[in-house]
Amino acid sequence: MYDNILVPTDGSETSRAAVDQAVDLASKYDATVHALYVFDIDATNLALGTEQVERIRRGKLDEMPEVKAEADDATGYVAEVASEHGVAVEEHVTGGEPARAIRKFIEDNDIDLVVMGSHGRSGLSRVVLGSVAEKVLRRTRLPVLVVDAHGEDEQ
Amino acid sequence: MSAFLAHAGSAVAQSGLLPEGLNVSFKALPAVLVTAMLLLFLVIGFVFKVADTEGMWVAGRSIGNVENGMAIGANWMSAASYLGMAALIATSGFYGLAFIVGWSTGYFVLLIFMAAQMRRFGKYTAPDFVGDRFNSDTARAIAALTTFLIAFVYAIGQARGMGLVGLYIFGDLGILGLTGYQSMVVLMMAITVGYLTLSGMLGATKNMAVQYVILIVAFLAGLYVVGFVNGYSTIVPQLEYGALFAQLGNEFSEPFVNGGYYLWIATAFSLVVGTCGLPHVLVRFYTVESERTARWSTVWGLGFILLLYLGSPAFAAFGTDLYANNIGPVYGDPGMTAAAGDVIVVLAAQLSNLPTWFVGFVAAGGIAAAIATTAGLFITGSSAISHDIYKNLINEDATQRQQVFVGRMSIIALGVITTLAALDPAAPIAALVSYAFSLAGAVLFPMFFLGLWWENTNRQGALAGMTTGLVIWTIPMINEVMPNYGLLSGAAGSDGIVSAALAQWLPAIGSALVAVPVVFAVTIVVSMVTAEPDLETKKLVRQCHSPEPMSQQQSAEDVVSSDD
Repeated sequence: MYDNILVPTDGSETSRAAVDQAVDLASKYDATVHALYVFDIDATNLALGTEQVERIRRGKLDEMPEVKAEADDATGYVAEVASEHGVAVEEHVTGGEPARAIRKFIEDNDIDLVVMGSHGRSGLSRVVLGSVAEKVLRRTRLPVLVVDAHGEDEQ
Repeated sequence: MSAFLAHAGSAVAQSGLLPEGLNVSFKALPAVLVTAMLLLFLVIGFVFKVADTEGMWVAGRSIGNVENGMAIGANWMSAASYLGMAALIATSGFYGLAFIVGWSTGYFVLLIFMAAQMRRFGKYTAPDFVGDRFNSDTARAIAALTTFLIAFVYAIGQARGMGLVGLYIFGDLGILGLTGYQSMVVLMMAITVGYLTLSGMLGATKNMAVQYVILIVAFLAGLYVVGFVNGYSTIVPQLEYGALFAQLGNEFSEPFVNGGYYLWIATAFSLVVGTCGLPHVLVRFYTVESERTARWSTVWGLGFILLLYLGSPAFAAFGTDLYANNIGPVYGDPGMTAAAGDVIVVLAAQLSNLPTWFVGFVAAGGIAAAIATTAGLFITGSSAISHDIYKNLINEDATQRQQVFVGRMSIIALGVITTLAALDPAAPIAALVSYAFSLAGAVLFPMFFLGLWWENTNRQGALAGMTTGLVIWTIPMINEVMPNYGLLSGAAGSDGIVSAALAQWLPAIGSALVAVPVVFAVTIVVSMVTAEPDLETKKLVRQCHSPEPMSQQQSAEDVVSSDD
């Protein structure tokens, strides 16, 4: 039923919550897991400055070791879990506004299921940041499995 | 302290800051013009935001000399260059030239000693450089706090400029019982922060080229037209204004009448070293393609800046003469107030009986300059908090989303404290901005200079040096500026200054003249009596000066690590 499962990740606990579910589904359907890390333009801008956005846009990640390490870490975790379960995995890195970049990746790569974590933000941080999971949900026609980061605590 | 600053410092009554002679009323055409300009910024910002978030990422593309030079010019030229420089020349004559000399000489020091070396070191932010060069998180934290403080102090001057110019266009709005000037400050800062949020940071930066074009066209058009219609000048107003000297009086043209020799040197020196220590200027050199681009873009940047600087004294001279003919004597008591001085560029156009849309255009240029620089400053300030303090010191595992949250919050915080401080500013635009230059010169410049040029500078030396710099900068700020905000006002004299002798030898506007030699000495002595830095760090510094050209987009760190 599923051939290509996308797991967007930013390396946080929240995004890791989705990995187990994605890998489990992938092994059942013999699908490939795609781990995607998005350089958030706004984050790079606010944290490193616009000049660094230019650098990333030019694809000069090699000269930004700290930034690259973070991306490799995030997708590397997904790859690790996947290969433990014998699931085929591909790591991808792209840039932009996260929800848009995820949507674009979906269109270009024949993805048929998205599995992603959600933080369940509320209050101020919700107003300032919004929810990537919610935006992906609204902007794609694919099935999206949203895994609540706090869900496991309650079990 | 000389008369002109005391003049500006009759500050307690300043909350109703009102430039005499300026036609304060709502004007339809200029209001439409300025609104259209702000909308244009928003549209450009939005277009670039969408283009960028769609991820058109082209490998191998790079910024050229001219493009980078233009960005340097737009980021650099603020309300202080557009309005403040002509203002100080108008109110204090020869003293104001210290700003033109200081701000352009700074780029030569940058060109010769730092641009290419900075590029070779290859880091992300100014605190990153300090933290990595001296292997110290404390040094990084001090540099980050200094960066934030510079953004704040610098932006107060921009807010004052926008508030005063806005008075001409929108008149006295009287929001919430505030005075007309205060209402404009609140409105303009709200627009700036809103614009940063809506157009996105990248959009804001892409706008800088447009903002540069608007401000330089508005300034030069204003200068030529004012010179022409009044018969002051024809094709080179930059030189022809000399013919006015006899009319303007000694206060305008004779050296050291307002502000003595020492103050002149102190101001110019502070501005030179401040230019070389400003994080939002230096950041342009970390990412360019090569050392050659770093050098040439400095040259282009200075060229773009000089287009305005060379015209500034002429504009001030025209404005001063028009003021004397239409409003009253410029010097003496009461004379031209600092508030009127700060809008002399707009006032000159208004007093020439030019159509309101044209005067509005000249005013719009000032707003464009202030918004471009405030955007750049707020980006640097937020990066100091979210990258250097939050991500590197508080929460090492911070995700991108958390950094966005902290970054946006720091921008709003900067907007709020800047607005509050600008409601009742302590000094004219150019003086406010110079406080930020003194700080950058006293704390950051010695660290960059010694860090790049003397490999034995170590952590202890840097910490001692930066602390000394901060202390020396703070003393005159408490002495001269704090009383204006109600602190220590009991101890201050009628001119708002606690100790006049201290203000004479350690003026807030030029405290780097004292601070820089002391900070150099402290840093060098402490570095010599403590252990030398390790070989790795020394190799890093040597690599910044190696005659061997580095391959494109390589940094000193890469070369050193591939050696081993």
